[in-house]
Amino acid sequence: MANTFIKTWLRDWWGIFCHELKQIFSDGGVLLIFFVAGLAYPLLYNVIYLNGILSETPVAVVDDAACSDSRRFIREIDATREIEVAAKCVNMEEAKRLMQERKVNGIVYFPREFGKRLANGETATLSLYTDMSSFLYYKNAMIGTNFVMLHEVGQIQMERYSMAGMTEQAASQVIKPLGYEDNNPYNRAFDYSFFLISAILMIIIQQTLFYGMSLLVGTQREKNHSFASLPDKLQGNGVGRVVLGRGAAYWILYLGIGMYIAFIVPAIFGIPQRGDFWNVLALLVFFITDCVFFSMTWSTFITRRESVFLLFLAMSPILVFLTGCSWPTVAFPGFWKAFSYLFPSTFGVQGFINLSTAGGDISAAGKQMTFMVLQTIIYFFLSFVCIYAENWVIRHKEQIHDRRDELTRRIGIDRAEDARIIKGN
Amino acid sequence: MTNWQRIRAVAGRELRIIRNRPLYLVGSVGVIAFCAIFFLTFLGGGLPHDIPIGIVDEDNSSTSRNFCQQLDATQLGKVVHYDSFASAREDMTSGKISSVCLIPEGLNEDVQAFRQPKITFYVNGLYFVSGALAWKDLLTMVNMANGAVQREMLRAKGYNESQIMGMIRPIDIDTHQIGNVTTSYNYYLSGLLLPGMLEMIVILVLIYSLSAELKFGTSRHLMDTSGHSIVNAISGKLLVWTVVFSVIGFILVMLLYHQMHFPMSGKIFNMFIPMLLLVLASEAIAIFITEMVPVPRLALSIGALYSVLGFSMAGFTLPLEAMPPYVQGLAAVFPLRHYYLFYVQEAIFGAGFAGWWKEVIYLMLFQFIPLAGLIRLKNAYIHQNYPKE
Repeated sequence: MANTFIKTWLRDWWGIFCHELKQIFSDGGVLLIFFVAGLAYPLLYNVIYLNGILSETPVAVVDDAACSDSRRFIREIDATREIEVAAKCVNMEEAKRLMQERKVNGIVYFPREFGKRLANGETATLSLYTDMSSFLYYKNAMIGTNFVMLHEVGQIQMERYSMAGMTEQAASQVIKPLGYEDNNPYNRAFDYSFFLISAILMIIIQQTLFYGMSLLVGTQREKNHSFASLPDKLQGNGVGRVVLGRGAAYWILYLGIGMYIAFIVPAIFGIPQRGDFWNVLALLVFFITDCVFFSMTWSTFITRRESVFLLFLAMSPILVFLTGCSWPTVAFPGFWKAFSYLFPSTFGVQGFINLSTAGGDISAAGKQMTFMVLQTIIYFFLSFVCIYAENWVIRHKEQIHDRRDELTRRIGIDRAEDARIIKGN
Repeated sequence: MTNWQRIRAVAGRELRIIRNRPLYLVGSVGVIAFCAIFFLTFLGGGLPHDIPIGIVDEDNSSTSRNFCQQLDATQLGKVVHYDSFASAREDMTSGKISSVCLIPEGLNEDVQAFRQPKITFYVNGLYFVSGALAWKDLLTMVNMANGAVQREMLRAKGYNESQIMGMIRPIDIDTHQIGNVTTSYNYYLSGLLLPGMLEMIVILVLIYSLSAELKFGTSRHLMDTSGHSIVNAISGKLLVWTVVFSVIGFILVMLLYHQMHFPMSGKIFNMFIPMLLLVLASEAIAIFITEMVPVPRLALSIGALYSVLGFSMAGFTLPLEAMPPYVQGLAAVFPLRHYYLFYVQEAIFGAGFAGWWKEVIYLMLFQFIPLAGLIRLKNAYIHQNYPKE
């Protein structure tokens, strides 16, 4: 008895699995999303963010001081990686015009008394004007001038302390009683591509899977089939094999696509892959399982083939923010923090960055994996619920239609008249 | 019937379609409302504060405790104490804290004896904003700590305050952030992400509206209504959608620059110009995509890929200069890029017409793109000879 049950279960499961694969491979739109978007999009983003560092931000210099100190300062900022002195202007008006024409993204201004104040042993102030149209301009202008400033300050302090009668050794000890050493081990130059690409890669996995699955669900609905209709002979008892059969089809497919995105794409473009292969693979398996049940649950709301794009495409940019790798998680408002727990990508991206890009061991993604497992369990049961709900809707279609007609009549919409104007005849 | 009556008939028909399929309103008004609420509340803080910074204090002296307290007191940072470097590092790798600061044993004694001890800090640059902010905060604190030690010594030697300042800080930088004084990420990102979202929605909704005629086989009736003129048919649809999207766009402008007081050195009303042109240009792109691929699903997929790329190609996060040269030229075909350049001139520099007239022309040029395929779309509408999917 039990034996035959397992046999039929497996046979049904296998049937549904093959059927779903057939559906996927016979639908051009789904193939476009899975294979063209899934495979080409990661490459495209890598090309855009290929050299994710902005160097040599052009600045204009207005040197009213015209002293040896200001000239040395200018030479030194020109020598930094961050800044290039693109123009030397005679007055601020000219510099402002260059900035407005976007020939420069910053202005360094030395006031007339700059040299005099330095000579007098006072604090000399220079002004930095930065274009905030991109924060990377601001960051470069800030870092470049501040480094030169700190370096210059060290030099000048040496002079001033020796004038006060200290030996060079003593002066250097007084100036820097406390030294520092800074390390940015995972992203040495604050490269834009390292963190953004890692995040985008995982989001592409989740979103293409979701769009593709929703497209198929919409297609089925339009053809008046249902993605969820249970095989008749099961008499409403076989939800498990439907969920698992369909899920397995996407799971197998996405394991392949996911491995390409997580292992091959970073290797092509030199994104750091410091993690252990098996750890990252384990994370990927958790993530994809999670994504499959996530998509299965949410795609239930898609009634037409194309509506998924209209409703949910805007989520993709939002998901990038919800991962917490650009905007820090501690700064999330409470509601959005809870909202971010709905998506596998929140944990998938963090886990991938910690494991693969930063090279932590499996415990570095422990919290994320736990959350993904919880999500998987919840979405797994929700996809059961969805199938029950779907079958209920199918059985009660007519009542629902009647109810809708009644409602529209009450607001005063004549559906028949509308149909005549939209379709003719 | 005159052409104007036909256009009105098409527009009236479009309104009925919108009324019959909730998807249109949810997909346009609903989605943009959600995005506006999301970005304006999510980034509402402007600049993150209280970024957790891990500290391993192996010294436990008054100097090191003082350093931690000072760091904790800054607006940017919040100190989290760790007993061992290993556990702090683990939390940094897992993204719980974005940086670790290691205070070596004997720091206090070494500072007093001028043996120049070193504080070491590690930053996780993969959590971009918090990493960079923590790094900045730590650098500032070390420099301030140095200043404090010098001040003590100089005071003891009898220097007066202005002399002390000259010794500690011979050069100071006075920074002016043009167009965003508070370094607010909300001003920086929401001001461009929301128009970007609008561009995306215009493209998707209009592609859907145009290709749904093919999908539901109603295109011949549309052509009947428009007097067999594709120009009338598209004009009628555009009439409705341009009003809807421009109103959304104008509400966005008023919301951002009037209601929420986003920085604006020019005139708020001038921002209506690029907003209207952005809507029109995105509509042109949508028509062009549908003309080239009159297959709903394919057209929407292409529209989706295009509009998502628009965010990166506008160049307000990673500037265009930092992208490979062969990508830079492509940016010109994204309306959001021109909107951004207009915005820089008007909102940041207040340059007025002289600053942005070129962007207006570029955005208007988009209007010529749909002309290329009008006949193709007309044939598709009449023959319905493309796959309906």
